Amino acid sequence: MSSPKTERRFVGKSVPRKEGRDKVTGAARYVDDIRFPEMLYGATVRTTSPRGRIKEIIFGENVPWDEFTIVTAKDIPGENYVALILNDQPYLVEEFFNHTEEPVLLLAHEDKFLVEKARRSIRFEIEEFSPVFTIEDSVNKREIIWGEDNVFKSFLVDKGNVDEVWESADVIVEGEYLTGAQEQLYIENNGMIAIANHEDGVTVWGSMQCPYYVHKALIKLFNLPEEKVRVVQTETGGGFGGKEEYPSMIAGHAALLSWKSGRPVKIIYDRAEDMAATTKRHPSHTRHRTAVSRDGKLLGMEIDFTVDGGAYATLSAVVLSRGTIHAAGPYLCPNVRIRSRAVATNAPPHGAFRGFGAPQSIFGLERHMDKIAKTLGLSPEEFRRRNFIQEGQTTATQQVIHEKVDLSGLMDRAFELSGYNEKREKFAEQNKSSRLKKGIGFASFMHGAGFTGSGEKYLESVVGAEATEQGNVRILAASTEIGQGTNTIFGQIASEALGIDYNLIEVAKPDTSNVPNSGPTVASRTCMIVGKLVESAALGLKQTLVGSGFLKDSGYTSEDFSNACRAYIEKHGALKSFSKYQQPEGINWDDEHYRGDAYGAYAWAVYVAEVTVDPTVYEAHVDDFVAVQEVGRVINPVLATGQIEGGVAQGIGYTLYENVVWRDGRMANNQMTNYIIPTSADIPPIRVFFAENPYAYGPAGAKGIGELPMDGAAPAILSAIENATGVSINHIPLVPESLMEELETETI
Amino acid sequence: MKNFAYARAQDADTAVQLITQNQNAKFLSGGTNLVDLMRENIEQPDHLIDVTGLPLAQVEELPGGGVSIGALVRNSHLAANQIIRERYPVLSQAILMGASAQIRNMATTGGNLMQRTRCYYFYDTDARCNKREPGTGCDALEGFNRIHAILGASDDCIATHPSDMCVALAALDATVHVTGTGVERTIPIVEFHRLPEDTPQIDTNLQPDELITSVELPALPFARNSMYRKVRDRASYAFALVSVAAALEVEDGTIKNVRLALGGVAHKPWRATEAEKVLTGAKADEEIFKRAAAEELKAARGYKHNSFKIELAERTIVSVLKTLASEGGAR
Ligand SMILES: Cc1cc2nc3c(=O)[nH]c(=O)nc-3n(C[C@H](O)[C@H](O)[C@H](O)COP(=O)(O)OP(=O)(O)OC[C@H]3O[C@@H](n4cnc5c(N)ncnc54)[C@H](O)[C@@H]3O)c2cc1C
Repeated sequence: MSSPKTERRFVGKSVPRKEGRDKVTGAARYVDDIRFPEMLYGATVRTTSPRGRIKEIIFGENVPWDEFTIVTAKDIPGENYVALILNDQPYLVEEFFNHTEEPVLLLAHEDKFLVEKARRSIRFEIEEFSPVFTIEDSVNKREIIWGEDNVFKSFLVDKGNVDEVWESADVIVEGEYLTGAQEQLYIENNGMIAIANHEDGVTVWGSMQCPYYVHKALIKLFNLPEEKVRVVQTETGGGFGGKEEYPSMIAGHAALLSWKSGRPVKIIYDRAEDMAATTKRHPSHTRHRTAVSRDGKLLGMEIDFTVDGGAYATLSAVVLSRGTIHAAGPYLCPNVRIRSRAVATNAPPHGAFRGFGAPQSIFGLERHMDKIAKTLGLSPEEFRRRNFIQEGQTTATQQVIHEKVDLSGLMDRAFELSGYNEKREKFAEQNKSSRLKKGIGFASFMHGAGFTGSGEKYLESVVGAEATEQGNVRILAASTEIGQGTNTIFGQIASEALGIDYNLIEVAKPDTSNVPNSGPTVASRTCMIVGKLVESAALGLKQTLVGSGFLKDSGYTSEDFSNACRAYIEKHGALKSFSKYQQPEGINWDDEHYRGDAYGAYAWAVYVAEVTVDPTVYEAHVDDFVAVQEVGRVINPVLATGQIEGGVAQGIGYTLYENVVWRDGRMANNQMTNYIIPTSADIPPIRVFFAENPYAYGPAGAKGIGELPMDGAAPAILSAIENATGVSINHIPLVPESLMEELETETI
Repeated sequence: MKNFAYARAQDADTAVQLITQNQNAKFLSGGTNLVDLMRENIEQPDHLIDVTGLPLAQVEELPGGGVSIGALVRNSHLAANQIIRERYPVLSQAILMGASAQIRNMATTGGNLMQRTRCYYFYDTDARCNKREPGTGCDALEGFNRIHAILGASDDCIATHPSDMCVALAALDATVHVTGTGVERTIPIVEFHRLPEDTPQIDTNLQPDELITSVELPALPFARNSMYRKVRDRASYAFALVSVAAALEVEDGTIKNVRLALGGVAHKPWRATEAEKVLTGAKADEEIFKRAAAEELKAARGYKHNSFKIELAERTIVSVLKTLASEGGAR
């Protein structure tokens, strides 16, 4: 029997989802389920070409325009920008526009059918300017479309002196790697409802990840004091980053229409609009030049990493930052230089998407590691093993790893579970005679949890815990439940900390009038960072109860606790406890030199993919997938496994299926019939394994896992395809026609 | 969605009567295609005549060895039918490779024949489409035309017919039985669907007041050795990039009988008569399969995003014929 001290009652258990019952029974209310009396339907009229100036707006005939509320940039009471980082993106085009699908006009009417008809009847008289569509053209300044040089942001990471290694290196290997855009494709389209007027201010309800981002943006848009703006999250059907920044835009649009019409306004995007107009994963281009010794040690890495940010800065700077820091991976190398930049093109802005730049740079790195191994005549695994980072060693940003890292151990486990070694041999033999070619490959990687560098320090997140009159504890946090399990793990963390029943913990719906700003629900930070605050806020509540004599310090039951809450409230009134983020000792980050402790903690992983390639019709299929990772303590095994399975599935889509086709800077395949995501029938069994190594500063020892699984699938699958076909491919997505091209070039 | 009136017919005559009496009326069977199109404002009928109550839901053996399939037989029933599975496996396989189990449970034989194209621009009401709005132009020509036609297209339309079932029917020489105002007639399957020419808004040679009552399969003993192969972007919920339906009979190494049809390549299920000519009477080997495939695709023309389908079609034909030749075609 384990001692009562270490026994955990709720953490590590797959307790049921807090909101699961409502979702399954249909009781959960999504934004489109909500309607108000007198409500109007809003629509967005958008640009249809990539860059230019609007000379005239032509309203179509046979539309009763006098019945419509029409909003233009002139109707904006405050600032015409979506407040975020650089504030360069307008809510509505005033004259000049920089991408297709850019919002110009807003319409509202009570008849949905008529709004659509009206929207379609509007045309623009425009003067076209020459656009830029590719990273290459943007970097080469074929046309200056943003700022002075098309560059939103650039970074330089410099460790050691990479210039000195080339001369003495035994081997130098170069490579170039490309990744495409990807659509988040959450199950619920974007949508918002607003009620806005001079007296009450602005209230919005909608699907979102980050209520306080929307709050900040609306304050500027309407030039209102904080307390006059209220943002309420409705049940949200997935986000994957796609509801990080764009909801601020839709909320603003709905609110502007409501402000002008004096009536509630609902805007719901249909799938085609959502896909064409909202953000996607940044396409990327990575160049590697690496010096290695004959015995397979990394001596120097020079990495050049560029992402396509689209037309406005939005979150590109921070996406670039994460991509940059992950670009050299979990390997020890004494000399590293990473130069990176996010550049502008005339496409709708690319934005947050699970992994946030890391899947892009890790793809390049892992493909390149395979290439170096091949050049040296080493197996890909042996080459990795000789360079895996160990406790006490430093990453590219010179962060000393203070935890025990055992990537070799994770690799052993992943290889054993997937039968990697036996299969390598078996497939090599079988492929000689069989028509179908089989292969197995892997990727090893890490993913930092929480905001980068000093991000968490500046955010100063706050979480509250309040006692309710029923004797429950309610968590007050702005972290959103978007399907990933926020409510449930918060419940587990709090009940564990307080030693009371899980069902006594409620989690308040994020509503800026009721919950403090605990930061955005992004960056694998909800469990590790916000969860820790949940733990301490809950403990603070208990302390007050103990201090005021209503509760014993230990040895109490759930009922005792409830009674104590009730008694306290009766005597003293409301009981709330708040906890604010404090950076753990010893975390130092130098923003200017991009050096130091980039993340509080990393999750570590080795993923193995097995594939079959059909060279007759160029189909590549993933047959088996093993995901082994160390993520600190697992709070809820079912949810954690779900996160990994979902991330891997999304990664498989990113690699073999999901191809955003661009035409004049617009997504040409913005339908679910032509933007292909894998179905359950395409996804192999995803076998998930956790190694646990509790992290001292995480709640109950947990780290973040939300983004990690997005990183590994693409390089592992291409490594397996190389194993199957002998052809090394350096770009994704690898749809059948590009596989055909690659295989045919190879055989010529 | 636009409002519409709804009526239910209990027999074929009433159904035909109702459709002639009402302007802008459409038959409704499984609704899996029509209702979607109405929701997207692509089809805007004023009247729907529900035909699901008609007594046309049987699969029956015919005296001469053929089979009659009622227009209201659900796709899933047809695919699971023992006679079909044994004598016409290509048809059963084709149906099972289409849509999803739920959709096949609803979808009917008549509706499947009449389903409309899946051209993205036909579906996108912001785009120009001669099929949806005649005379507006075709955005697919210069657009993302990956799933589009490589055979028999016109400058007005490069859409493809999306059905899998119909490709099998084309290979099996099926006939479609229809009834109109006072007339009944039969239409050979290869003449049922049409090429777009300059009237792509018309998909088939069925008249607006005609109802499909059944589909007849001829006795085709060698169709026991038949199969369907569908190349698509994912394992479910995807229309064919290219599909091949074939039946083959080989005697003493020589091809005695062959039926070959392609899907996903044209505005109609494409019966590969050129390839059949090359194959019939020839020695059954890979070389002749390749030659036949090349002959059929000689007239093919690719567009920006779909040129790969020409080679893909050839390769798929060859692989299907090879499989049929080795699995039981040789006697
Ligand atoms: C998500 C999805 C995926 C799909 N994937 C595939 C696929 O992979 N392969 C494939 O082949 N199909 C696929 N389909 C299409 C499916 O096969 C068709 O929707 C179905 O066969 C239509 O049959 P229905 O009975 O529902 O027709 P309905 O929708 O009821 O009608 C379709 C048309 O046929 C007309 N009609 C119906 N019955 C008659 C009759 N007796 N006489 C005259 N006219 C009639 C109607 O007026 C209407 O115009 C897919 C559909 C969906 C929604």
